Amino acid sequence: MAKKAKTSKASRSSKKRKGNRQPRRWWSWRFIGKLAVVVLLLAAAGMIYLDAWVRDRFDSHVWQLPARVYARPVELYPGRVLSRNDMLKLLELMRYRRAAGAPTPGSYSTDGNTLVIHTRGFRDSDGGESAERIRVTLSGDRIRGLSGGGGNDSVARLEPLQIGSIHPGHTEDRVFVPLDRVPPLLVRMLIATEDRDFYDHHGISPRGLARAMVANVKAGGLVQGGSTLTQQLVKNFWLTQDRTLARKLVEMPMAVLLELHYSKEQILEAYLNEVYLGQDGNRAIHGMGLGAQFYFGRPLEELEPHQLATLVALLKGPSYYDPRRNEERAKARRNTVLRVANDEEALSDRDFQRYKERGLEVVPRGASPLYAFPAFIDLVRRQLARDYPPEVLGEDGLRIHSTLDVLAQLASESALRDHLNRIDGSGDRLNGSVVVVAPSQGDVLALVSSRKPRDHGYNRALDASRQIGSLIKPAVVLTALKQPKRYSLATPIQDQPITVPLANGKTWTPQNFSGESHGPVPLLDVLVHSYNQGTVNLGMDLGPGDVVKTLEQLGVRRKIPAYPSILLGSINMTPFEVAMWYQPLATGGFATPLRSITDVLDKDGEPLARYPVETSEVLDSGPAYLTQWAMQQVINSGTGRGARRVLPQDLRVAGKTGTSDQYRDAWFAGFSGNHLAVVWVGRDNNQTAQVTGATGALPVWSQVMAALPQTSLSDTPPPGVENVWMAPSGDKTSGENCRDARQYPMMEASIPTQSDGCGGGGAVRKAGKGVVDWFKGLFD
Amino acid sequence: MPSVTSPMLKPPMLSLTAPLRWLVLVALLLSGCAAVPPTETPQAPVTADTELAGSPARSLLARAEQARDSGQNAAAGRYLERALTMAPNSSWLYRELALLRLEEGDPAAAEGLARRALRLSPDNDAYRADLWELVAAARAEMNDPDGADAARDQAEKLRGGRA
Repeated sequence: MAKKAKTSKASRSSKKRKGNRQPRRWWSWRFIGKLAVVVLLLAAAGMIYLDAWVRDRFDSHVWQLPARVYARPVELYPGRVLSRNDMLKLLELMRYRRAAGAPTPGSYSTDGNTLVIHTRGFRDSDGGESAERIRVTLSGDRIRGLSGGGGNDSVARLEPLQIGSIHPGHTEDRVFVPLDRVPPLLVRMLIATEDRDFYDHHGISPRGLARAMVANVKAGGLVQGGSTLTQQLVKNFWLTQDRTLARKLVEMPMAVLLELHYSKEQILEAYLNEVYLGQDGNRAIHGMGLGAQFYFGRPLEELEPHQLATLVALLKGPSYYDPRRNEERAKARRNTVLRVANDEEALSDRDFQRYKERGLEVVPRGASPLYAFPAFIDLVRRQLARDYPPEVLGEDGLRIHSTLDVLAQLASESALRDHLNRIDGSGDRLNGSVVVVAPSQGDVLALVSSRKPRDHGYNRALDASRQIGSLIKPAVVLTALKQPKRYSLATPIQDQPITVPLANGKTWTPQNFSGESHGPVPLLDVLVHSYNQGTVNLGMDLGPGDVVKTLEQLGVRRKIPAYPSILLGSINMTPFEVAMWYQPLATGGFATPLRSITDVLDKDGEPLARYPVETSEVLDSGPAYLTQWAMQQVINSGTGRGARRVLPQDLRVAGKTGTSDQYRDAWFAGFSGNHLAVVWVGRDNNQTAQVTGATGALPVWSQVMAALPQTSLSDTPPPGVENVWMAPSGDKTSGENCRDARQYPMMEASIPTQSDGCGGGGAVRKAGKGVVDWFKGLFD
Repeated sequence: MPSVTSPMLKPPMLSLTAPLRWLVLVALLLSGCAAVPPTETPQAPVTADTELAGSPARSLLARAEQARDSGQNAAAGRYLERALTMAPNSSWLYRELALLRLEEGDPAAAEGLARRALRLSPDNDAYRADLWELVAAARAEMNDPDGADAARDQAEKLRGGRA
C-alpha cells in the first residue's frame, strides 16, 4: 500500500513538470511538504507494522525450553541400605555445599555419622517435597534414623538430579527462571553494569549513549556499546546478530515500542531468560538459570555474589570472558562488575573486599551430571519419541522423571571398567555393556554401554545385537518344565553326542564346552553345568518351535526361526532385550514392560502423564519357580559359582552364563529378589574376545550385584510344588539319608508314585496344608 | 554325585516309612479322631498394617489413600509405586494398585496387578478370595463374563473352604 502510493504520486509530479513551459527548479517547498507527508505516512505505517510485530512476537513468544530429564529422587528412610560414603557421593553430585548448620537449601553439615541436609525441594506427580532440613543418622551402611521433614518423619526425598535435556531440532537450551526467583543482587549488578538508567529511560538512553561515546573516545576503541537492556533484548529476541544498518534502524523504534507496551519487570524477565551466555558443543546456553547450572552446577538462587557477578561479566562476551578458558580475563571482568555494584551501593564495602578475593569456582565441564549418562538418556529419548512430537520436547519445558538410580549406574560403570581394565589392560580390545533393572516394576536403574561411559556414540546396551549362546538354556528348561507329566528337574537327559539333520541337507553335531559327554544326567545338571549336548537332546525332544513359543511368552518380540541351532543360542539379541525376557524369570512369571520414565510433568511441575507399572502373568507359578530354582543352582554349584567369591553365601540369587561361538561374546544374566542385571562383554568387530561368560561377564555381574542392596529370592514353593527326595535314577522317590538321593522342588504331577524303598514318601509337606493333602501324603 | 548345596526347607515333617504310616493311621482310627487333622490356627485377617508393619512404605500408603480419596489418582499411583520400591513383595500394595487402575478404567492392568497380589499373597483364604473378586470385577469390565465367573468360583471355593 505505502509503496504504491509513493509511485503514483511520483509519476503525477513528473507529468506536471513535463507540461510546464517555464523551466523551474525540480523541487519546490510544496513538493518537499508532500514528500514529508509521504515519509511520515510511511514511517507511521512502518511503526504500526513494527508495533504489531513486536507485540505479537512478545506475547506469543515461545521459549525454547527443552525437556529435562531427571534421575529418580533419592528416597531416605530408616532401614534403607546406604553407606555414608554413598550419601556424601550423592550430595557432591548434586552440588550440595558443606556449611555449618546447613543454613540454606542445597547445603549440608556432618557430625560423625549424622548429617544435616537442607534439601532443595521439587515438584512431582505426588506433589513433591518442599525444601526442608533433615537429620540423617547412618551406621553399618544403613540409615538408622531420620528426623525433621514436613510433618512426615519416616520418609524424605532429595530432589532428583538432572541428568540431561532433550532438544531435538534446535540447539537452544535454557532453564526458565521467573523474575521473582531471580536473586535481587543479580538484577542490581546487571543494571549497574549494563544499563544504569534502565528504570528511567523509554527504551533508548541518550545519556547512556553519550557516556559510552565518551568512554570509547577515552579508551581509543569500542569499550561500551551504549545499548540499553531493552535494545539488547530486541537484538536477541527479534533480530539477527549481524550489524547491518537496517537492523540498527529498526532496533531503536522497536525498543521504544517494547517499553510502550510492557513493564520494566516483563522486559527484565525476558532479558534474563533470553541472554546468550555461552556455548557447549552445539548447545547454546541461554538465560541466567541455565548459566548458573552450566558454570556452577547449582540453581541460580543458590549462587553467591561473586558467582552472580561472573554471570553478569559474561554478557560482555561469553567467549572472550569464558571463565573456563580465560580465567584471568573473566576474573578481572567479574571484579569490575563487583566494583560497579559496590559503587552503586548494591554491594557493601566489606562484601566487595571479600568476594573479589574469591576464585571463580566454576565447575569443570566434564563434571556435570548432564553429560554423565548418555546411554541412559538415549533410552529415555527413544521411549519419549513414541509419545511426544519433537516440537513438544524442544519447547514445552517438560520435566521427565526417569528411573535411573545414580548409585546403581555409577556402580555398574565402575564394575565394567575395573574388570575390563584387569583382563584387557591395553584398553582397546574389549568393550561391554550392563543393564540393571528392578524386575518387579520394570524400572531400568542403570544402563552402561561402554567401558568409557561418558562417550556418546554406539549404544551397545540398546543396539549391539549379539549371539546370546547359553543364555537361551533357561528357556529350553522352562519349556520342558511346563510339561510336568513328562519332565521334572530330576528327569534323566542324555548328555551324549547327537547329530541333527538340517533343512539344507547338512547335519549339525554340537559339542560340549569341555569336549566330554556325561551320559544320562538330571535335567537340572544340564542347566547347572550348561551341557550343550544334553540341551540339544532335550530341545529336539521338545521341538525348537516350542522353545520359540516360550521365548515369545517371555516377551521376546523379534522373529526367531525355529532352527535347531537356536537351542544353543544362535540368536542375536541386545543386552536390553535379554533383560526384557529374563525379567519374567526373575519375578516368577510376571512380565512387566521395562520403563525408563515414570512421570512427565509440565514446566510448572504439574503432572501431565504417568507411565504406571503394568504386569501380566505369563507363566504358571510352578514352572516359573522351578526354573528360577534351577538357575539358583547355577550360582550355587554350576558355571556361575564364581559369583560367591563376591556375594554373601546366604543371598539367594540366580543366573546363567553365556558364551558364543569362538568366544566372541561373553554374557551373564541373573537376578536376586530385587535386581536383575545383564552383562555383555565382547569386541565391536565381532572377532573373538577370548573370554567366557564365567571369566568375562560374571565378575562384572557379581561386582554390580554386590554394590547394590539385595534381597534374596523367595524359597517358598508356590502351591502345587513340593520338595521331594529323589533316587538318582530320577524316576523314583527316595529319602533324605538314602544313597545319592537328591532333593528337588517338583510339581505334583511330576512326583513319581514309586519309591525306591529307602526313606519315605520323599515329599516335604508344607505346614498348614489341607486335611486331604495330609492324608494323601500318608498313602502316597 | 554330591548333593546340590542349596538352601532347602526344613527336614521333612512327615517322612514316615510306609509301615509306620499305616500304624499312625490305624492308631488315629482307633483313637476315634481320625477325621480331625492337626487343628489349623484361625487365619489372622490381612490388612495394610499386617502387611507393611514397620515399613516406611506404610506412611506412603496412607498418603496414597488420602490422594485417592481426593480424586488425585496420579498422585496416589506415584505414592504406591514409591512404596513398592521399599516393599517390592507386598501383596497389599499390588492390590491397592489394582484397585486404583480399575478405578481409572484400565481393567486389563488391574487384572495383572491383582494376580500379582494373589501370587504374593499371605496364606489367608478370605484375603485371597477378595483378590479373586477383584480379578472377577476386572474381567467383567473387559466383557469377559466367563472369565469373571471362573474368578468368582475361585473366590467362592476359598470362602467355602473356610466356612
